[in-house]
Amino acid sequence: MFLNEEDWKECPDYITSGQNSCYFNASYTSVWTPYCVQLASKNEVYDKKCFSVDEIVLPDPPVHLNWTLLNTSQTGIHGDIQVRWDPPPTADVRKGWITLEYELQYKEVNETKWKELKPRLSTMVPLYSLKTARDYEIRIRSRQRTSEKFGEFSEILYVSFSQIGIGCDHCTEEVEFPWFLVLVFGVCGLAVTVISIMLSKQPRLKMLIFPPVPVPRIKGIDPDLLKKGKLDEVNSILACHDNYKTQLYSDDLWVEFIELDIEDPDEKNRASDTDRLLSEDHLKSHSSLGAKDDDSGRASCCEPDIPETDFSASDTCDATSDSDQFKKATEKEEDLLCLDRQDNDESLPSLANTDPQRRHRNSQSENSHLWAPFGDSVESPPLSVHTQISNQNSLASTDFYAQVSDITPAGRVVLSPGQKSKLGRAQHEGCTEQNFTMDNTYFCEADVKKCIAVTSHEENEPHVQEQGYNEDAYFTTESLTTTVANLGASTAAPPSSEMPVADYTSIHIVQSPQGLVLNATALPVPDKEFNVSCGYVSTDQLNKIMP
Amino acid sequence: MSTKGASLKGLLLAALLVSHMLLTKEGVTSLPICPNGSVNCQLSLEELFDRAVKLSHYIHFLSSEMFNEFDERYAQGRGFIAKAVNSCHTASLTTPEDKEQAQQIHHEDLLNLILGVLRSWNDPLIHLASEVQRIKEAPETILWKAVEIEEQNKRLLEGMEKIVGRVHSGEVENDIYTPWDGLPSLQLADEDSRLFAFYNLLHCLRRDSHKIDNYLKVLKCRLIHDNNC
Repeated sequence: MFLNEEDWKECPDYITSGQNSCYFNASYTSVWTPYCVQLASKNEVYDKKCFSVDEIVLPDPPVHLNWTLLNTSQTGIHGDIQVRWDPPPTADVRKGWITLEYELQYKEVNETKWKELKPRLSTMVPLYSLKTARDYEIRIRSRQRTSEKFGEFSEILYVSFSQIGIGCDHCTEEVEFPWFLVLVFGVCGLAVTVISIMLSKQPRLKMLIFPPVPVPRIKGIDPDLLKKGKLDEVNSILACHDNYKTQLYSDDLWVEFIELDIEDPDEKNRASDTDRLLSEDHLKSHSSLGAKDDDSGRASCCEPDIPETDFSASDTCDATSDSDQFKKATEKEEDLLCLDRQDNDESLPSLANTDPQRRHRNSQSENSHLWAPFGDSVESPPLSVHTQISNQNSLASTDFYAQVSDITPAGRVVLSPGQKSKLGRAQHEGCTEQNFTMDNTYFCEADVKKCIAVTSHEENEPHVQEQGYNEDAYFTTESLTTTVANLGASTAAPPSSEMPVADYTSIHIVQSPQGLVLNATALPVPDKEFNVSCGYVSTDQLNKIMP
Repeated sequence: MSTKGASLKGLLLAALLVSHMLLTKEGVTSLPICPNGSVNCQLSLEELFDRAVKLSHYIHFLSSEMFNEFDERYAQGRGFIAKAVNSCHTASLTTPEDKEQAQQIHHEDLLNLILGVLRSWNDPLIHLASEVQRIKEAPETILWKAVEIEEQNKRLLEGMEKIVGRVHSGEVENDIYTPWDGLPSLQLADEDSRLFAFYNLLHCLRRDSHKIDNYLKVLKCRLIHDNNC
């Protein structure tokens, strides 16, 4: 059945096309009229298809194929031919009613696979370089130019050169390319070349072809060291090399790498930082001995991954290891020095200079030794400088150091009171505890905050004093100076009476990188009840106190 | 002295260039260039027909591909084909439906018909190019084809008007034209209906472009090659 204009009609001819077919001759169809056909039986429709004639046109194959010889090669082995054909007669190409494309395929007689040429409009095509000794078969098919489906293939055209008389009976068999000979000669030639280069006395040529393989070499280490077996020296150098990763230290030789131990509030509350500092340092110095034997390089001077305490402990760069409290400073400084050992060895003497300075300061200040914070170190693993400081404090009777209780993310240091002020701290805790949750290491500041009732009138002073802020790692000292000054000048007495701790001295001058010159008595501490012993307030805290 | 020599060289070079241009003018065959200011410079009718046939063939090729892509992507399983037998908006134009009819019709009438069909498609093509962009996840190929078809159709229309101007002895009829009112159907909210409207339009476009291509080839063979293409 087929449909035309909403009306299903029966197939007019079931016979002409054979079995299971329906034939519509030209009278039933018109080119651009859409039709649908469906296969149905009684009430059941099995299949349905809609189309228009121009979509499904498959032209007849071309006719009258023939070929002519164009030319042959000089040896007579190959020849070119031109193939011609006529379009199918049923396609009215002459009137332009349909435009056809042709595709030609050819192959040798005893081959199985056809070679294809791409479709073209013209009805002739040349075939080049056919072997005259062989026979060929050619076939062509056509399709409507805007369609994709080809019609049937034409009849096969046989091409035989011998028929024309140029058959190459006496031709020699086609010479295959002498691959074997080429290979053999190539290999020989290459071998000869290589050997001649190797044996040649020309160093430049030799270098060009055979560049020398670089011998493994570590920068900074004299290979003789390795040869002589001075393992310790090599180890030390290697260890220092590890720290090259941390370019942080390159600028400030004596700046320590301070880690914050923020997660450990109780520890700070319990013992004074100085105590912790001193005791741990003592421990670490023992461990440093062990670390000395460690070849892994972990016991390196300035390994940032190692907890802070190892800094003091690591003495691979420093042979001495006594638990002198200054040793810690020394070690730290030298640790840092180690980092830049390769950069400038003259740092050592400068360090040595700062050392006595420091020690002198320490003695001066009695109990305050400021560890200059390293600005960038706040991102590092938890600081435990305070622990070290506390350790030291516990061991020593006097407080040489003011513990750095914490470092703010901004890189400012918060110092906590020393040994003496440990007592004060206990009392401080009687004060209302604000901002405890913020950072336990700042408890002193919290104490200060709550203990200092009024700070508003002090605002002017810190501002004034903070003008001299320098934004490097040492600014905290000035802030601390400010704070201390504030505290000193404050008339608002903290509720808890605390002896103003002489632990703290103002930092008079910041001499980077040599260190700080502390002014022990720079600030008056008039108010006994004023609780200075909370220590230096970091600038952050200070800023919090002040609007 | 050197400047004189340089100027002489320049003059010689200019003379050579001009002579070269004049001499090689014969070699240019495909696109004859009219010298500036020439009044009678015209492309031959053969040239015009050649270009027209090329354009119409290209347009039909593009619309055929576009329809196939659209069919593949959006129409599968929706049974659009069964419903798309309804008429196109150009059905009111009585175009020859087979070869005999095409051969019997007078070439001037055929030209006018071609013009009418082209004009009728001007508006739909513009809207097709813009509305097809709103189809959800329309492939880039469909998008640029729509734009290209619209452009080429304009050019073909211009070319046809030129041809008609040459061939027609009398007055050119401008009345053969079918307006298109299918824009609302392309903007329907219901996606199914909207896609069917597109399908229908593309189907009609393919058919009409095939018609135009065929008619032009018939005309070309008839007028230029005397039925001996």
